[in-house]
Amino acid sequence: MRVVAGAELPPLAIELTPTVVISTAIATRDFTPVHHDPAIARAQGSADIFLNILTTMGLVERYVSDWAGPSARFRGLKVKLGVPAYAGDTLTFSGTVASVTESETLIEVIGRVSLGPHVTAQATLTPVALG
Amino acid sequence: MTDERDHLMAVAGKAIAAGEGPRIAAPLPVNAATISHWTEAMGERNPLYAGPDAVAPPAMIQVWSMEGLNRDPDRRVRLPVDDVFEALDEAGFTGVVATNCEHTYHRYLDLGEELTSGTRLTDIAGPKRTALGDGYFVTWNVTWYAGDEPVAEMMFRLLKFRPKTSATAADESRNVGAEAAREPYPLRPAVNRDTAFFWDGVREGELRIQKCGDCGILRHPPGPVCPTCRSTRRTHAVASGSGTVYSYVVHHNPPVPGLRTPFVVAVVEVPEGVRLVGNIVRCATEDVYVGMPVRVTYQQMDDELTLPMWIPVEA
Amino acid sequence: MGSLSRRTAVAGIGATEFSKNSGRSELQLAAEAVFAALDDAGLSPSDVSGLVTFTQDANQEIAVAREVGMGDLSYFSRVDYGGGAACGTVLQAAMAVASGIADVVVCYRAFNERSGRRFGQPDARVGGEPSSQGLEMSWHVPYGLMTPAAWVAMFARRYMYKYGATSEDFGRVAVAMRRHASTNPAAWFHQRPITLQEHQASKWIAEPLHLLDCCQESDGAVALVVTSVERARDLRHSPAVIAAAAQGSGAGQMMMTSYYRDEMAGLPEMGVVARQLWEKSGLAPSDIQTAIIYDHFTPFVLSQLEELGFCGRGEAKDFIRDGGIEIDGRLPVNPNGGQLGEAYIHGMNGIAEAVRQIRGSSVNQVQGVRNVVVTAGTGVPTSGLILSEA
Repeated sequence: MRVVAGAELPPLAIELTPTVVISTAIATRDFTPVHHDPAIARAQGSADIFLNILTTMGLVERYVSDWAGPSARFRGLKVKLGVPAYAGDTLTFSGTVASVTESETLIEVIGRVSLGPHVTAQATLTPVALG
Repeated sequence: MTDERDHLMAVAGKAIAAGEGPRIAAPLPVNAATISHWTEAMGERNPLYAGPDAVAPPAMIQVWSMEGLNRDPDRRVRLPVDDVFEALDEAGFTGVVATNCEHTYHRYLDLGEELTSGTRLTDIAGPKRTALGDGYFVTWNVTWYAGDEPVAEMMFRLLKFRPKTSATAADESRNVGAEAAREPYPLRPAVNRDTAFFWDGVREGELRIQKCGDCGILRHPPGPVCPTCRSTRRTHAVASGSGTVYSYVVHHNPPVPGLRTPFVVAVVEVPEGVRLVGNIVRCATEDVYVGMPVRVTYQQMDDELTLPMWIPVEA
Repeated sequence: MGSLSRRTAVAGIGATEFSKNSGRSELQLAAEAVFAALDDAGLSPSDVSGLVTFTQDANQEIAVAREVGMGDLSYFSRVDYGGGAACGTVLQAAMAVASGIADVVVCYRAFNERSGRRFGQPDARVGGEPSSQGLEMSWHVPYGLMTPAAWVAMFARRYMYKYGATSEDFGRVAVAMRRHASTNPAAWFHQRPITLQEHQASKWIAEPLHLLDCCQESDGAVALVVTSVERARDLRHSPAVIAAAAQGSGAGQMMMTSYYRDEMAGLPEMGVVARQLWEKSGLAPSDIQTAIIYDHFTPFVLSQLEELGFCGRGEAKDFIRDGGIEIDGRLPVNPNGGQLGEAYIHGMNGIAEAVRQIRGSSVNQVQGVRNVVVTAGTGVPTSGLILSEA
């Protein structure tokens, strides 16, 4: 199936349990305490432990890749960070196909939490063919 | 202030001129165990990343050069950006928040590849007034190499800020992401002698409702003459600060200067018997409903303007 | 002081094309529409002795008079409050004619509302001035509540809450207007009908309003010629007699943001207009064959049907679900496609359509039209008309 500009990606909601926040921080080899120790996170002025940036990048990739499938290749991923994504919140992704050319497909993604947008991103892919 | 900026710019200028720092070897080769740990945690099920011919998920690029848990500070190689961070810390810009991260992937990586990375400082901008405090945006680039072949690049930008004192630290919201540089807030109310008491009250953390000095009736929005008894003697009552959403909108388009969409504006009915308009903050837009109990809060928009806003009452 | 009813008539209508970029000045648009209206009536510029327009119009009466070659004017007047002025200009003209102040009065509205200043865009300056309007807006603008769609959405949410109306009910209005426009060659959306699914899928502007709940921004001009019924009888077309004309403002009225009074689920100012229209014309809703209902945003079409008495409070959604506003429905609404489908010329194009319906010359002609009710901009102090066959 041909992908057209304006098409929407199915939304994805991820419950940010402490397990998710901590396991992703460790899987990205980020051992900074604010990503796994609530007491330290609060002492530093945060509401709770929160997602690290490497995970935000990873989740955006996963969200786009769930839709684009294994034939597509990522050429780039641009992320603008907004409000923190705290444990206990829900991160909801929505995405739109921003443009399609012969060589590239550009996807715009927003990941929202209750405080507002946590991440706005642009993923550049090779042409996408949906099954 | 200028001296401080000159000093910071001099340090940064030197670091930028130094170009790419030493190439640092990644502690682990691209390997199946780290990849599967990552894909499991992320919920990534793309078959490209599994099996004997697996490639690494491109977004993992930075993972390969993370130093891990037991990093040894003495063995750590000093990078050009470190001088700039030290100078900013010394000047009191101790807060840090990342604002942008941009990856470019030249190719996907195979199992067993050994990477190195080189970092160069590319830009410093400031001082900028932001929601978190005054600060400098620092930008650097990392290039990952397999041998001498560049395989991926990253632009990373963060804000080093001077934390505000606690009175205004409740700045977490207003759909304001950390990077939003706070110029004077563009949406300013007109104020005259009939309405100044309200805005003065807001600055002092009071929600003031005009009260007729003769018949005592409460009225919002306020005006110079009591429509009930014609009195021009005006006083005000201080509202309790609780209220109920009477109606609301979620604004999406077009963009509004000074605000990020979507945002919620509500008509709030207060028990004193009047209605006020304000934003609902610290609440997901889809969680707002007619009848929702809210309480007032105050948001400092810039040096001069404070606005009353509404947050959900905790259940 | 006698009644104004049935003493004056609309004797000519004229318009430019409706577009997104007229490519000419607003003054030129005004002049072209005035010429067209005078030609339609069979009058010349020298016959005109009065001009009425909107306070918001950028073309002064004297500038229009110079361009079209009018001579002496004995009456000029403007009506305030945005699109709420539309039928008010006809009321002013009718009063001037009926009282002998002027013989022939032209009402006009001309703007490059899409290619020039766009009403739908936020303007941070509105809060700046401590005029009464600047102060009024200052209770809303700092919170980003500063576009017409968002102002209306606040009422729409309350209306939905109170009466159980849904976004699809609003969407049915948009679908009907676009269906009517699709067979009107003068409409911007000629041959471009939409479905309810497309309405629901269109992007959010200000929840609960989708893009397709909002009228387009348009460039164009409309002019109307008002004179006495006697004189109109001698002109080119049979007169559209002004059976009633009224303005209305309610207690606690504001511009688009009357959030501090009553239930917020009605339009009291339109109630003021409706009561006058029925009383002064001696007609009732059952005497009306088609209605021009101001539709810059769909939700207010529902409240107007209720304020005008075509259905009970909260029942407009059922009226519309039953196809009541379609061309073959109980009350065909905006056969031209309205502001949503034809063009947004601040309601003046709707008055022109009402005249065509009376004449029997509309491209989407409703059968057996004797009386047409017309309303003007909603959410603001407003106005209305009943036009009747001679």
